[in-house]
Amino acid sequence: MTWWDALVRAGAVPASYVPPASMGGGRTDADDGAEPGADLVEGDAVDVHAVAAAASPPACFLDGIEQWKVVGYDGVLPVVRAYVAAAVRRRGEDRRLRTAFEGARDFAIAPLAGMTPERRRALTAHCPDVVEISVEAGTQPGRMLELARRAVDSARQALERDLAERALARLGDAEWLVVDGLLSVSGRLAGHPRALGVIKSHGAQFFTGMDLERALTLPAGHRTSVFRARGGHARNEVYSWYLRLWPWQGNDLLYGLLRIEARADAATIAAATGTSGWLLAERAPIATPDVRWDRLLYPIHDVETYLKARAPRDLLASRASRLPRTGT
Amino acid sequence: MIARPDPVAIGRVVATELKPSTPHQFHFWTANETTIGIGAIVKVDGGRVVYGVVTDGFAYSDLATPLHDVIGAEGDPARAAASPTVRQEIRYWTAAVLRQIPEEPLQPVPLGQVFVASDTDVAQALRMDAYLHSATPTAIPIGLYTSGGLEAPVYLDADFLLGPEAAHLNISGVSGLATKTSAVEFLLASVFRHFPPHKGKVAAVCFNVKGPDLCFLDQPGDLSDEDRRRYERLDVPAQPFERVHYYAPLKADGVNLNTLRTHAELVDDVTPLTWGLQEVVDFAEVLLNRDDIDAKADAFIDFLRDRVLGRSFDDGFGNAHKVETFADLERLFRSIFDGLELTGRSDTWRTHHIATMRKIRNRLLNISTRCKGLVTDDGPSSDLPWGAFEDRTVYVIDVANVDPLGQDLVFARSVSKLREHLERRDLGVDAVIVFVDELNKYAPGDGPETYVKKMLLDISERGRYLGLVLFAAEQFRSQVHRRVVGNAGTQVFGRMDMDELATPGYQVLSPATKIKLATLPVGELMIRHPHFTQPIFVRFPKPPVLRGRDGMERFPAAIDLSFADAVARQLLQLDRRIRPNQVKDLIADRTEEDVRRALAAVRQKRPDEVLATFRKALGGRVAPDASRERRAVPPLNPISDEPY
Repeated sequence: MTWWDALVRAGAVPASYVPPASMGGGRTDADDGAEPGADLVEGDAVDVHAVAAAASPPACFLDGIEQWKVVGYDGVLPVVRAYVAAAVRRRGEDRRLRTAFEGARDFAIAPLAGMTPERRRALTAHCPDVVEISVEAGTQPGRMLELARRAVDSARQALERDLAERALARLGDAEWLVVDGLLSVSGRLAGHPRALGVIKSHGAQFFTGMDLERALTLPAGHRTSVFRARGGHARNEVYSWYLRLWPWQGNDLLYGLLRIEARADAATIAAATGTSGWLLAERAPIATPDVRWDRLLYPIHDVETYLKARAPRDLLASRASRLPRTGT
Repeated sequence: MIARPDPVAIGRVVATELKPSTPHQFHFWTANETTIGIGAIVKVDGGRVVYGVVTDGFAYSDLATPLHDVIGAEGDPARAAASPTVRQEIRYWTAAVLRQIPEEPLQPVPLGQVFVASDTDVAQALRMDAYLHSATPTAIPIGLYTSGGLEAPVYLDADFLLGPEAAHLNISGVSGLATKTSAVEFLLASVFRHFPPHKGKVAAVCFNVKGPDLCFLDQPGDLSDEDRRRYERLDVPAQPFERVHYYAPLKADGVNLNTLRTHAELVDDVTPLTWGLQEVVDFAEVLLNRDDIDAKADAFIDFLRDRVLGRSFDDGFGNAHKVETFADLERLFRSIFDGLELTGRSDTWRTHHIATMRKIRNRLLNISTRCKGLVTDDGPSSDLPWGAFEDRTVYVIDVANVDPLGQDLVFARSVSKLREHLERRDLGVDAVIVFVDELNKYAPGDGPETYVKKMLLDISERGRYLGLVLFAAEQFRSQVHRRVVGNAGTQVFGRMDMDELATPGYQVLSPATKIKLATLPVGELMIRHPHFTQPIFVRFPKPPVLRGRDGMERFPAAIDLSFADAVARQLLQLDRRIRPNQVKDLIADRTEEDVRRALAAVRQKRPDEVLATFRKALGGRVAPDASRERRAVPPLNPISDEPY
């Protein structure tokens, strides 16, 4: 018997609701903390540098996924089942990716304190991994779902950080670790000379005025000057720059635009064009059919596909209509 | 047995709503680098054990549309090949179920691991265990199933190959690769080695209908070490046939053999095949075309057969006849026609219309002209050893150079005699395999209903009860009579023509199997057998005999001997003590007709004192009988006068 079955037996109302945010679609580099900002470390103004595609070095790629859904209600208190997973896939000499490290966590998220005793007992007795969210009495269910999302996000980040650090310990001499997302979430990652963060969702804007315009209108195959990223999310200092993979004209300002994070070091500035060159080469193969293919590197897409293939199927949103069946 | 202590899974069954597993088909994926291919036998272990044969294969990547590859490579194929990461791709296979254990209840194939089949698995998958390990095994090796570095013998069930459960074998394939003939030669060797003792004795009658294909079955061919290893694996001796008897008609001169096996070292094994009126008239239907066959013609042939042949007979015009040869028959007809003309009587003789008689006369006497050498218009016949067939012996009848009408006659009479003797169980063996090549010609799907076609149908449909088994080969199976092909319990396919594979008879095969068939290498066959629920690909070793073309190089045909030398050689075959000059002296002042007659008499009697018998036979009929002068057969009346 699953823990959510036990919960229902204890009187909870079964539910099957997959919030749109559960597939990680809303993840950006925006942060709830301080306003982001940038300190140029390459030149005096944001400049545009041409990049030529170059051969990629040996590399590992890290990505994580998160899925969650409401499986029951105790009154109006949602009980969430969450799954997070992450993997590091190493690219071999045959140019194929194989899993080097992976981890997953299947757990419950619930406002334990507010739940009726028997349902709380049923949950804790049958689920070994429960993350409690603290809510005050009268908190709206929508707010509780947001808290649940943060808990899931946090669990994923922790898993990714753990895997990243394990991968760094085993990284080859000339091997790079490319992480989908912020590098600055981990001190060890942020300080490694061959770790890169690739950010494709640009919730945070580091420039204003002409600098912003230059950054967001980068031609394809060009990068901006390197800058030090500031802001609440930057728990560890990193250098960053924008790189355009595909022409944006005719699409959107953010089309084909990546922000790269790397160690805050003078060597990063020196290597920025070369690093951008091999990242540019990672445009091919195209990561279709993912709609983010213009910014999604194929190896990252591969890691994501791998993780999704191994994720529990019952956490996916049903393709069927949620309308009540009429029987006709 | 193949030692495989720790089988390693090579794939996994997958099923989707669009492509689910069924009780008869399943899908699985393997690593990109895998040893299996189309035709491989696999085993699924997932609660129940399922054996399947791979019928189709697919490879694809996660590329949504080819255009995305173009975009990624910016239109440069070289750049596409140099992309840092290779796309995820799949090797996806479709397999047809061969067998499930347990067999009941029949269920969809489970989502289990897939393994390469071992020896034991192959035996189980093909249900060979029932006849391979029974108290009275009936397994006949047909070849080796090879896949994934494994090799397992494949056996046919003698009860289903040679009767009585099912019988007959049909083999199709394009010409020129020697696959069909080679396969049959190997299979005959295998049958002779493994024919179950409890089923008695077996022999084979092979009709050599083209070139020197079957002329050297007693001579060793060149075998590679790999071939020898395969023979050993299949427990079939890698040796030519020990007992082969050759039969060939004579040429028109009546003394030289009409075969390509005339090399001095081999020709002694060839026995002349000559038939007289008695042998031919029973199969007069063979000589008649569809327009000829009517009740009147039948009645007259029956009259000849029942009332005339071999009996003292008065023609009604005061002449007594005893018709035993074509010459006698010609005299009878001449006497009747002359009598009718002289007496001015009507066109009817003993209720038979003169036109009917002329037609039958023309057809019968025509055969002695068209097949001179096979059909003697005088003298006794020389025939196969009916009633004295030997176990594990091949009887080759070489009719390659005989007129097509003569080929039909030889086939019809030989098979009829086989059937007669097998019905009476006095042939000398319990089962006979009849090998006929060029079935497209003898039993076409369309065209007239010939006597030969009817005979082939008869063998196909009833032969298994008698032990009369047809091994037939053709290039285009689709053009052979459906009942002949359909009654063959075992179907063998060599390399096939794509046009042929596009015909409806091959619809059951997957596109991949068809491609494999169209590109099948020499020495590989696809087998269908009643015990196998799906076609199986096997390899067979090169036959242990000299191929026709090689035989002709090693034993080139001798040029025809002079009449005297040819006669001497034939007598010498019967008695090694005879000196050619003795023969030449004896026949120096004799007509060739007399000599042929005497020679035929000696061949028939096979006496101890050959020369004396020959001298006696020759001496008794020195003076040619005036009435025996061969006269040209008068032409038929103009067609407009024919009542037909």
